[in-house]
Amino acid sequence: MPAGHGLRSRTRDLFSRPFRKKGYIPLSTYLRTYKIGDYVDVKVNGAVHKGMPHKFYHGRTGRVWNITKRAIGVEVNKQVGNRIIRKRIHVRVEHVQPSRCTEEFKLRKIKNDQLKAEAKAKGEVISTKRQPEGPKPGFMVEGAMLETVTPIPYDVVNDLKGGY
Amino acid sequence: MAFVKAQKTKAYFKRFQVPFKRRREGKTDYRARIRLTNQDKNKYNTPKYRFVVRFSNKDITAQIISANITGDMILASAYSHELPRYGLEVGLTNYAAAYCTGLLLGRRVLKLLEMDDEYQGNVEATGEDFSVEPTDTRRPFRALLDVGLIRTTTGNNVFGALKGALDAGLDIPHSDKRFAGFSKDSKQLDAEVHRNYIYGGHVAAYMRILMEDEPEKYQSHFSEYIKRGIEADNIESLYKKVHAAIRADPSAKKSEKAPPKQHKRFNLKKLTYEERKAKLIDRLHTLNAAAGADSEDED
Repeated sequence: MPAGHGLRSRTRDLFSRPFRKKGYIPLSTYLRTYKIGDYVDVKVNGAVHKGMPHKFYHGRTGRVWNITKRAIGVEVNKQVGNRIIRKRIHVRVEHVQPSRCTEEFKLRKIKNDQLKAEAKAKGEVISTKRQPEGPKPGFMVEGAMLETVTPIPYDVVNDLKGGY
Repeated sequence: MAFVKAQKTKAYFKRFQVPFKRRREGKTDYRARIRLTNQDKNKYNTPKYRFVVRFSNKDITAQIISANITGDMILASAYSHELPRYGLEVGLTNYAAAYCTGLLLGRRVLKLLEMDDEYQGNVEATGEDFSVEPTDTRRPFRALLDVGLIRTTTGNNVFGALKGALDAGLDIPHSDKRFAGFSKDSKQLDAEVHRNYIYGGHVAAYMRILMEDEPEKYQSHFSEYIKRGIEADNIESLYKKVHAAIRADPSAKKSEKAPPKQHKRFNLKKLTYEERKAKLIDRLHTLNAAAGADSEDED
């Protein structure tokens, strides 16, 4: 019999719950609120059968475009052939986690605003642009001992191990 | 002893999944909790309040709680040990006391939210099924009953507290199936019987029976009632006065006790490595001294 390509085919390990984390899922997944425009990660929770996305979307990150009573609409990129389509799926909240992909950006925004406000108060001009890491500075090597190493001539008598 | 195969091997413990802490303690039913606290996502941060009633051996706790990731927030709470303030000092865990506690909590919450004038609720407790009517200005305060782990049988005291909160003016979805006085045969709530329970009529009836048949048991069982001069006939008027007092001033009173500067310890403090080594050395010294003394005695 051939393999079959059903909806949940080849998801034996993907959708299984992790070791010693089976059973009731912690309440924080239900208590989180999402707003339109947030970035979320789609991670399937095999314990909840309703509102499961297709296995393709497991591990994808997308933006929220719709919020309903128990589910969230997420817009995810999918490559189909030679183009990338923005696909809109609806997923129950148990299969969604808030994404940290923009966390670093948001923190940097706050910090930069702060720095700019300070600089404006002092009257100086600063650039808050990130610079790539440059080449490492030069340094003098300290406390190096010079040790000359030469090969020793091959000694047949001693070096032959085993049967002689 | 015969050779018994070890049941709980190392492999068993390695694979053992520990239940949630509050499940281990047997205090929280997570299946119910998930369903009670789950809020519609398109209502965003609107809190979903639950009317929590818990009974201990000598106290009743009624609270209005909203769930949070960091921890549940309590909007208002009422305990049956506050009832002495309103004139009720005995029988603090019976159906009537539960009604009073629910009533107290309901009036307290409405006063907190400045809705107590709009929603008077059912001033005269008749035992009939009463549901709050929404007025034009504001919708009534909605909460969901959370019983915890008790078995919901007809006439359970939890539903006494529920009735108290309903009569106070809270909007709690319910049915009259589990109130005291609901008969399974006629499938109807007998308001008279329910009213009897709300005013402690069942307690009064037992007092009368005991006075007739077993006066000594009556003396021992209802000693606190006798001490305060509460008899079977004035129980109903006592509760009426308590209801009126609760409606007059439901606000919570802060206790005058200052919080203790150092938190009370319930378990032993963990010793440091040095302390544990020192203890061991002391133990060995005493052991050697005792052994030395024994060997001297034997000699």
